[in-house]
Amino acid sequence: MLLEWTKPGLSNPLRPICDLRVLKHFIEEARDAEAAMLACKEGRGLPEPVTVPQTKVDFNVWERKNALEQAQEVQSGLWLLNQAIGSLRATVTNTALHSHIDNSLRNIFSIGQVLRSLNIQEYTPPAGGVAGGEETWRVSSASELLQVHVNFLRGKVHLLLSNTPVCHQGSS
Amino acid sequence: MTNDNLTKLLVFCVLFCAQKTSIVHGSQALETKVALLLHVEPENPKCFAEGMSDLTCFWEEDEERAGSADQYSFIYTYQNENSSECAVTALPAAGGKRLYFCRLSRTQLFVPLDIRVFRDDLLIHNRSLFIEVVFLLDPPSNLTLTSTGTQGQLKASWLPPSLKYMGDSMMYEVSYAMAGSHIGKVEEVQASSELILRGLQSGTKYKVRIRAKLDGISYSGYWSAWTDPVLMETIPGDLDPLIVSLSLIISLVLTLLSLIVLMSHRRFLLKKIWPIIPTPESKFQGLFKVYGGDFQEWLGHSTGGLWLRPAYFYSEEFPAPLEVLSEVSLGPALPSSALPPKASEALGEEEDEDKKLKRVDSALMEGWRETPQEHWLMDQLQSIHQHPAPRTQSSLLESHDAYVTLNSQNHSGEEPLDDILEETLPLQVLFASGRTSSESRSDLGSLQQSSGSGRLSSQSSFEYPNHTWPPKGSGYTYMAVADSGVSMDYSPMSSSKIDDIGKGVIYTNEYKNEIPAHRRPIGTPIHFAF
Repeated sequence: MLLEWTKPGLSNPLRPICDLRVLKHFIEEARDAEAAMLACKEGRGLPEPVTVPQTKVDFNVWERKNALEQAQEVQSGLWLLNQAIGSLRATVTNTALHSHIDNSLRNIFSIGQVLRSLNIQEYTPPAGGVAGGEETWRVSSASELLQVHVNFLRGKVHLLLSNTPVCHQGSS
Repeated sequence: MTNDNLTKLLVFCVLFCAQKTSIVHGSQALETKVALLLHVEPENPKCFAEGMSDLTCFWEEDEERAGSADQYSFIYTYQNENSSECAVTALPAAGGKRLYFCRLSRTQLFVPLDIRVFRDDLLIHNRSLFIEVVFLLDPPSNLTLTSTGTQGQLKASWLPPSLKYMGDSMMYEVSYAMAGSHIGKVEEVQASSELILRGLQSGTKYKVRIRAKLDGISYSGYWSAWTDPVLMETIPGDLDPLIVSLSLIISLVLTLLSLIVLMSHRRFLLKKIWPIIPTPESKFQGLFKVYGGDFQEWLGHSTGGLWLRPAYFYSEEFPAPLEVLSEVSLGPALPSSALPPKASEALGEEEDEDKKLKRVDSALMEGWRETPQEHWLMDQLQSIHQHPAPRTQSSLLESHDAYVTLNSQNHSGEEPLDDILEETLPLQVLFASGRTSSESRSDLGSLQQSSGSGRLSSQSSFEYPNHTWPPKGSGYTYMAVADSGVSMDYSPMSSSKIDDIGKGVIYTNEYKNEIPAHRRPIGTPIHFAF
């Protein structure tokens, strides 16, 4: 099932992936990457600050948003993370960290596939290449970046996946 | 106006009471949680989240060193945000302590939170945490126990804490024990609101309680407090079929073993319980089975028994052995009388003191012949009686009297035994009544001695019709016997030797029957030649 939707370029509609254990797996790998980065002493500083999504969730606020807004927030955040971690890879020389970073990038892509299976609209970056907004902030260290990555997955992505109407319709 | 005021007052009172109740209740819960965290959480301040958007932090200080609440400042900062301050409240605690609280009503999850506590601008506590991992929930509510209908089982069901998005991360721990026992078992269940307890004893009261915890990748926390225990009795148990069947099998096996033992020792036990009455049947072959206990009959057919001989009986029943016949004329030869066969047998078989007599008897038997006519005999006897011959030695020899010679020689063979049979009667009578047999026997015994040859034989004079009475030799002595058929008279004996004639009677024993006179019609003597 995993191999099926990790293949790029699939146009046929995917079955909805409602099992949250997939996400759990990604989160754990992201944690491993963060831990590895903290252990490594070199390359902790980024050449320039990168934009990362906000990970904080205020339930009162979150619940006031509709599904579309939530989806957009998640998708844009994932895109930003993808950009940031991609740029991190270039600066890191440690081969062990390389594997972690590659893993994280793969996982972000997989989450995108999962969201697509749930009919969640993809994010289109705004014109100009620079995504701003109230829900972003800038980090300058690699460990902070990876921590954001972990928290984003644990928070918003998880909330979104656990509350999709598609999955709930089947179970209830 | 008064009504409105009263209504307002009433509403206010109700609300106040309700709030007070909730506060009281809430304070009780708070106390429990505080106590829990004091045990579990090492860091200060201790913080916990009860719901989706709240956070309670507290720390403890000794009463002596404690200051007032306004001395303390609680500063918290979310990532990428400005710091904020929380109002500190103080509450007295047990054991001479003081608790300082700070409660946040709006929180942000999935973002690091920095907390700093100052006391008079002095940093006393510093901590960074994620709120979504410090959940301390209320215990589950509405814990109920029901019977499943199966033995040794109980079903526990409860109401999960009402938290959105966190149902899949919820974990429960069910503790159950027999009422009154401290040793219990614990079972964990994830993301469920009921549990079936198995392996319980039948007909026993069980005490069950439950606690909850968030334990997921996104949300986490501490174990909640235990619920109040709920008691329930399991359904009484039937006889376990396995135990019943096993006990049946064991009893069967034991019964079989005992039977086998009894059968193998059957004879021994029978001997002990029902001893055999000893019978003498083994010593007396066929006495009981064939003759039905008739000892006399058995004796008649018995081949065994050294000490039982019919000879004894027969010897007592039957008369003495001698039988004498007399004949006067030269008529048809009178058959010699015969001894009763039985007597002869008895004689023949006698082994005791009268062995000599036995031989004599056998000799006598051989000389006798049968006398078919008793009338004729009687006549002869009468004639003899009426005309007694002169008692001279020679006349004795030449007379017409019937003579009986007792041969001292043993004749071989026993053929005359049969002839002897029919002439038993006269002699039988004589000897049976007389009972001088012992005398006669002894005399005969002495006779034997006197004869010298040691043997005696008998011969009838009928054998010699022409008076050719052969002298048999020197060893013969004879006596005259008068037999009337009823009685016998014995004349004194005289030797056959002519030499001895005149010398007198060698043997002068008189044989006289002791028969009464009326029984002696004819007293004709019968000569008995020896």
